[in-house]
Amino acid sequence: MGGYGDVQLLRDDGLRLDGRKIDEMRPVAIEAGVLPAADGSAMVTHGLNVAVAAVYGPMEAHPRKIQRQDRAVIDVRYNMAPFSTSDRIRPGYNRRSREISKVTAEALESVVLVERYPRSKIRVEIEILAAEAGTRCVGITAAAVALADAGIPMRDLIVGVASGKVEDTVVLDLDKAEDNYGQADLPVGILPNTGEIAFLQMDGDLSPDEFNLAMEYNFKAAAEIHEIMVDALKRRYEGGEN
Amino acid sequence: MVELVPTLLRQELARLAEDDLRLDGRGRWEGREVTLETDCLYNAEGSAKVVMGGTIVYAGVKFELRTPWPDRPAQGSLMCGAELRPVAHRKYEPGPPSPQSIELGRVVDRGIRESGCIDMESLCIVPGEKVWGVMIDIHVLSDGGNIFDACGLAAIAALRTAVVPAKRFDVGEDYTLKVNGTPIMSSFTRVGGRYIYDPSEEEELGGDERIHITLGDEGHLHSLQKGLRGVFTPAEFAEIFEVAHLRCSELRELVANQEGN
Repeated sequence: MGGYGDVQLLRDDGLRLDGRKIDEMRPVAIEAGVLPAADGSAMVTHGLNVAVAAVYGPMEAHPRKIQRQDRAVIDVRYNMAPFSTSDRIRPGYNRRSREISKVTAEALESVVLVERYPRSKIRVEIEILAAEAGTRCVGITAAAVALADAGIPMRDLIVGVASGKVEDTVVLDLDKAEDNYGQADLPVGILPNTGEIAFLQMDGDLSPDEFNLAMEYNFKAAAEIHEIMVDALKRRYEGGEN
Repeated sequence: MVELVPTLLRQELARLAEDDLRLDGRGRWEGREVTLETDCLYNAEGSAKVVMGGTIVYAGVKFELRTPWPDRPAQGSLMCGAELRPVAHRKYEPGPPSPQSIELGRVVDRGIRESGCIDMESLCIVPGEKVWGVMIDIHVLSDGGNIFDACGLAAIAALRTAVVPAKRFDVGEDYTLKVNGTPIMSSFTRVGGRYIYDPSEEEELGGDERIHITLGDEGHLHSLQKGLRGVFTPAEFAEIFEVAHLRCSELRELVANQEGN
């Protein structure tokens, strides 16, 4: 957590600066099939975050050294657009985006039935167009909907959610101020049907009890977002288009 | 990725051209429907989204304080860059900026810069010390053909909505960036032997060279670019130049209408 100093993050009435309750997430909207050029795609708006994911493949895996004889590899690129943050980001990969891409790929490989496509590659491109804390989670949610939209078989969807701690209080779904000045952040990728966890990171300071509460909030939010994901996928195939 | 231009597609495009037809039923100088949305990205000081058939492009404007170039101490700077990231099409590979994306960014940049729509001296805060650097970043999300026109339109529309974040940089109050004009690009590709306006993805795949024309409010030329292998005659250019005037005016009106809302 980057935060120091005396920034008040909880109001005297117990609500958060943006008026949310401590276990309330920001509004989420999802649309599947937004990019005509891609095999599958999705746009997720989560608070002020905007993430778009595109899926290409399964396709030939090259260079050949990345091929796996028994399964497909998932090649994820998480990228923040130069205009997505308050200070412009120089285009190109950095250490942060490389790490997020790696662990996101591993999370997605845990839900996609990769053994169906030996020696092939599935490309997942996650583009963050606007960032307001929690972009890796929003990217995971977008990637899962895009994979389903591409018709790639999966054991389950995967939902990216985060809880954290501000002013010694566990809260669901940190916004930008809470992320900057808070005490902990716990992003996870949850399989909503099986209740398993495919993505886990954390930084800051949490007691075991606080961790359990944060996880409880995360599971509650994952169930809510899961409904929105399913609804987006249903809408995509209703109405006769495509 | 190796692009195998399908011979059958080329033959079909040539056959259609004999009757002056296009694959998607459009007239030779007819563009696809264009939708423009502005102020659509949180954190960008100006932004626009353009949808043109299967092409989707975002542009975002950011500002930074910098020291001026020594030979132009009282002028700010403008830079426009485009990224053709792998998200936009299966043909785009990850890696450093490709010659294609550099060409795209530079052609859009020239059209805006040379139109003079931004007064570089108005971007000066303290001569010799502190000026604004304006950066337009273009993000192509889906390449369904003619990304040049979509990028040009998104860039100028985003710039025209930009608000200078002076307060955040402690140099006064925020104000709307002054933009004097709306330079617009029109692109033509040779398909089946003759030029057509606003090529689709298939027309680009089975077509030849392309010409990009950027016109200012008064109909003056501000940027020209010929790309890919092929040649054209002055008479052919005269013909598409006429069309460019019409199409640029229509898109300029679209930008004005969007701003009027």
